Amino acid sequence: MADKKRVANLKLQAAKCRQNVLRMVRAGGHGHVGGALSSLDIVTALYFDKMNVDPENPKMEDRDRFLLSAGHKCLAQYAVLAEKGFFDKEVLDTYGKLAAKIPGHPDMHKLPGVEANTGALGHGMSIANGMAMAGKLDGKDYKVYAITGDGELPEGSNWEAAVAAAKFGLDNLVVFVDNNGLQISGDVTKVMDMRPIDEKFKAFGWAVKYIDGNDMNQILDALDSIPEEKGKPTMILCDTVKAKGLSFGENKAGFHFWNATEELLDQAEKEMAELVSKLEKEKEELV
Amino acid sequence: MIGELMDPRKTFGKAVTEIAKENKDVVVFSADSGKSSGFGDFIDQFPERYFECGIMEQGAVGMAAGMATAGKIPVFCAIAPFVTCRPYEMVRNDMGYMKQNVKLVGRNCGITYSDLGVTHQSLDDFGLMRLIPGMTILAPQDPVEIEEACKAMIEYEGPVYMRIGNPKIPVLFERKPFVIGKGDIIQDGEDVTIITTGSCTKDVIEANEILKEAGIKAKIIGLPTVLPLDEDLIRDAAAETKKVVTVEEHYINGGMGSMVTELLSDMDGVTVKRLGIPNIYATTSSNYQELLAYYDLDAKGIAKSVKAYLGK
Ligand SMILES: Cc1ncc(C[n+]2csc(CCOP(=O)(O)OP(=O)(O)O)c2C)c(N)n1
Ligand SMILES: [Mg+2]
Repeated sequence: MADKKRVANLKLQAAKCRQNVLRMVRAGGHGHVGGALSSLDIVTALYFDKMNVDPENPKMEDRDRFLLSAGHKCLAQYAVLAEKGFFDKEVLDTYGKLAAKIPGHPDMHKLPGVEANTGALGHGMSIANGMAMAGKLDGKDYKVYAITGDGELPEGSNWEAAVAAAKFGLDNLVVFVDNNGLQISGDVTKVMDMRPIDEKFKAFGWAVKYIDGNDMNQILDALDSIPEEKGKPTMILCDTVKAKGLSFGENKAGFHFWNATEELLDQAEKEMAELVSKLEKEKEELV
Repeated sequence: MIGELMDPRKTFGKAVTEIAKENKDVVVFSADSGKSSGFGDFIDQFPERYFECGIMEQGAVGMAAGMATAGKIPVFCAIAPFVTCRPYEMVRNDMGYMKQNVKLVGRNCGITYSDLGVTHQSLDDFGLMRLIPGMTILAPQDPVEIEEACKAMIEYEGPVYMRIGNPKIPVLFERKPFVIGKGDIIQDGEDVTIITTGSCTKDVIEANEILKEAGIKAKIIGLPTVLPLDEDLIRDAAAETKKVVTVEEHYINGGMGSMVTELLSDMDGVTVKRLGIPNIYATTSSNYQELLAYYDLDAKGIAKSVKAYLGK
């Protein structure tokens, strides 16, 4: 079990990052909140607890790498990068505006901390492989982390990357599958059932862990034991809740992309502010 | 009714669903893209002819081509780059080289996904598709033309790529049968020929009002088919006006403007000004109109460019 203080702090950071997501939705009026909020706890744990990154020096040679294969989850990455200090939070207020540094899919040439230009699904795993292969070639010990969606998995390119990652022994690579059960057309298992996802990756030569991806304890436990097996890439299959933290949107396919109404956005901001105060108190009580 | 605003995706999905009532060979492929392509009714009415593949565009094109070898008429619609750029080799080999009767439809074309950025904008689809021998490219300009284009595309035997937008568009013209390969003279004039296609036509018609005020008489040609190009119509117009402007929501390189320029390159005294998006990774805005204006592709921008080209 991860240390209580460590967990309490991360939960608080995640709630603050969720506030950042709402701030961008406030600015742009909409956004791919569903997949951003389901994966946000993982992204928070990585940046605030695990990854060797320096907001002052985002291109630091030995940094750990993070990328979203499901680029539409970018609100999560923008929120965390802002909270971590990679850029001014005012940038969050430009979401949806002309020539924003934070467009609807991430652009590495616009925003410090972004490592790849994703948005077309099924690219991230191969790019992550390449980063991990370069690390091995140069004898560096940085790690590469990537997140894919569950709806994204039928793209054949993912499986090209999966077999190659095993062949090249990329135990410096960790891929999270954000298993929120939903995609645009609804239930992932009805659209194209990829189960058993864990068994498939195992058969492709990966070490696999299966966790609740919205539970900070489980996320930290999984991250603390990487590489799961020496010589093998690690896949962490994360059961998550789409639109996690939006009381009215959780587990609803309609919140894949949210065209926000004033009323619901007000409500979400209020609920998230309450959660932040509650988590601040909990954190103080532990000190 | 002229002027009525209609949703291009819903119009398209409904039109195909109507045709499928009569034509039992029509099948629909989806890559997590069916409902958002207007196929809600089709799914309810013809579940056995609806193939949801999940997010696997390359597989969907291959399967569609395979089905076509057995006489089916597959229609596969998704966000434009994901039916063109992503599965390009399947389109070229399995649809093009194999001459299969598959209908690909790219929606949210051009920069209509204005804030989703480069991965979701489609500014190269005319260019990619025109290089496939035997391909037909349609770009209907209003909702009624989308309906008629669907009929024509399914009646025609061979690979077709059709491109439609996303925001509601007004009905511009009276209904008439869609003839693949034929353009129309929307307005006659002698100072300049403006050739437009797809989503740009509405803005060109608006731009024309500004040009009229400036005393410019434009001949306006609408191209609901981009390939095969209506060569006679375009050459005749160019011979008359000498000056030609092309307007498309596409890169100025490689698309309709390039095709027109290549066609007219042997004509003495004819010059072509291509309007579109320069060959860059376009920027973003959640406001599509703002982005069109940024690239001078709204009515004002088009009028400004035409005037500058004519030195007025
Ligand atoms: C190649 C490609 N095809 C289609 C899309 C359109 N698209 C964006 S998100 C999405 C659904 C993704 O579902 P999932 O991977 O489950 O993401 P999440 O639930 O985490 O939002 C689709 C079809 C795309 N971005 N890229
Ligand atoms: Mg999902």
